[in-house]
Amino acid sequence: MRKYFSKAKVQYLFYTLTHPMDGFYEIRHRGRGSVPLAVLSVILFSFVFSMNKMLASFIVNDTDPRTVDSLNNLGGVLLLYLLFCVGNWSITCLMNGEGRLKDIATTLGYSLVPMTASYVIATIVSQVLAQNEEGFYSIIITLGTMWTVLLALAGIMIIHNYSLGKTLLTIILTVVAMLIIVFIVMMLSDLVNQVYNFIYSIYTELLFRS
Amino acid sequence: MKKMNLWKKIVITALSVCMLVPSVPAAADSTVPYDSYNYDYWEDIKFTPAPYIPDRSVSGTTLGVGTLVNPQDLCVSPNGSIYIADTGNHRILEVDASLSKTVRVIDSFDRDGTQEKFNSPYGVCVSKNGQIYIADSENHRIVVLEESDLSFVRIIENPTSDVLEENFVFTPLKVTVDYADRVYSIAKGMFQGIMVFEGEGEFTGFFGTIEVNITTWEKIWRKLSTKAQRSKQVLFIPTEFTGIDIDADGFVYASNIDQNGIQAVRRLNPKGEDVIKKGENLNVGGDLQTVSLSMSDYGGVSTIVDVVYRGKGIYSLLDSRRGRIFTYDHEGNLLYIFGGLGTQAGTFTTPVAIEAVGDKIIVLDANRRELLVFKETQYGDLINRAVALRYDDDETLAVDLWKQVLMLDENNELANVGIGKAYLTAGDNESAMKYLKLGMSRKYYSVAYRRYRNDFLKKYLGFILTGIVLLTAAVVLVNRHIKKKKGVYEEEGGAFDV
Repeated sequence: MRKYFSKAKVQYLFYTLTHPMDGFYEIRHRGRGSVPLAVLSVILFSFVFSMNKMLASFIVNDTDPRTVDSLNNLGGVLLLYLLFCVGNWSITCLMNGEGRLKDIATTLGYSLVPMTASYVIATIVSQVLAQNEEGFYSIIITLGTMWTVLLALAGIMIIHNYSLGKTLLTIILTVVAMLIIVFIVMMLSDLVNQVYNFIYSIYTELLFRS
Repeated sequence: MKKMNLWKKIVITALSVCMLVPSVPAAADSTVPYDSYNYDYWEDIKFTPAPYIPDRSVSGTTLGVGTLVNPQDLCVSPNGSIYIADTGNHRILEVDASLSKTVRVIDSFDRDGTQEKFNSPYGVCVSKNGQIYIADSENHRIVVLEESDLSFVRIIENPTSDVLEENFVFTPLKVTVDYADRVYSIAKGMFQGIMVFEGEGEFTGFFGTIEVNITTWEKIWRKLSTKAQRSKQVLFIPTEFTGIDIDADGFVYASNIDQNGIQAVRRLNPKGEDVIKKGENLNVGGDLQTVSLSMSDYGGVSTIVDVVYRGKGIYSLLDSRRGRIFTYDHEGNLLYIFGGLGTQAGTFTTPVAIEAVGDKIIVLDANRRELLVFKETQYGDLINRAVALRYDDDETLAVDLWKQVLMLDENNELANVGIGKAYLTAGDNESAMKYLKLGMSRKYYSVAYRRYRNDFLKKYLGFILTGIVLLTAAVVLVNRHIKKKKGVYEEEGGAFDV
């Protein structure tokens, strides 16, 4: 446990945020990243996201607080994270990407940190905003999101040793791969369900005949 | 054994409490045969106390004129008496304001020496100048009589104009008159709008035409289909108006059936433009939450069949699909909803017309052949009075009323906003914020909050700035101290690795 959350690892995470090129390179080649830390960052993001929906001030927040379900959000965010990692991994494997699954997971998790921070800051700032000042709120979130997107883009580019164009192409293909995975999982679960129903009906049939 | 007893006791207590609790509101509502509710900011249904309760029903027999047959319209004359269009009996009834006895039965009139009868008079209206306008539908004319002695004034028939088709048959259904004796009539099969007649009954044009909204998808679909397919498709025709009323300033309130359930009433200015105000949810179309018609006979959007302007900007819509009456204020806020279909006293089967007399609402039911009278409760009265005060810009006077409304219905957002706005004018920003937030009014909450924030800063800015300066100084000092220590550590040969 120490190994994954050591002070050096945490400090390196923040180094990566400001030096993505070097940072992600070393994560890929010198093993300076930490997957558990990345997962923690994703969990933290989902938590902060739910909190923002709950606690952002009345002026900027049009969410019915009764509809916010943090556990649901957590599940959704983790599932998307997993899907993207697996999807990207499957695509880059075929396209000569150098990154391993753990590099992809680390990159995405680390990239989410600015967005998490922006949500926290925006939620706090929203408490002192009046109408016509919502711009401040949205600009904070936009900046955080843009930073996250840039980090993720740079990270994927570097860990796979791709050019920018190829990175964008793989990201589009990743989305397609994600959809295919979802489709296959749903189809599989349906098939398994049918097989189960079939066996169960045989079982009841036998039960009634004996 | 003792434990068992204890458990038993707990269970019995819990059960009895469960049985007790719901029985209290049920008993309070058991006299009213329908639900009263309103929609909150999230468009969820919130049940409210009944704003109006059934008072009594009046049939033709109680009025001493025999059973009404398919009555279709109601009108309150300026002198207070009520006119009923008894369509199936080809007559118009004049009833006194208390609905206790019939004053006159009008079934014919003297037109220059010859007695003429009505044929299915569908609509009736009395103008400010004391003239009765009768939409004599199957005789294809509007008959105008003096109210005082029923003497013949004029007949409006056979409108001719370039905009009308050659073989157009004028079948007036509803009619209303403004202060300048301009006649507005809803005619059968007339989709272009309300027909307007001026002067001695010349047709001058259409009024308040409803525009047809075609979605982009429908346009694309139409482009793609062949001519033969197109001819089989549903025509895009505007909906017809269903009911009509007029306020003292000459603004026409006209109800229509909106398939989308968004706008079932229009407020038309003298130029025929719709100037209605819609509230926060941009809807003046009755029920917000409906299941689709395919799922239940009781589903589908509200079918608004009539509108009544009740003064002070308040108007009510009558829904025939679920027998509900929706009341809005001049800003388009839903004030309250009540009424329902059924066979019990105080419910409708086919409501067709609505009128307001004093604090009572009268609904005409064509199938029950009855007038149903609803009387205001304390809850309805408080809301009506508070909204009237707001309409007159005396909002601060309405606070007490709104507070009483909150006592009866703590979810009432309008009451919260009303109180909040009053606090805002009084300068109590914190209380204003509390109530405006409960009333979900972002606009006014923001005003209150901005004032509160300015006050706060004025009061505490000195402290805040001092605090910041002190904090910065402390951080700088501590940092310097740490650096000093670290320097010593590094000099001693310790490596610092990031």
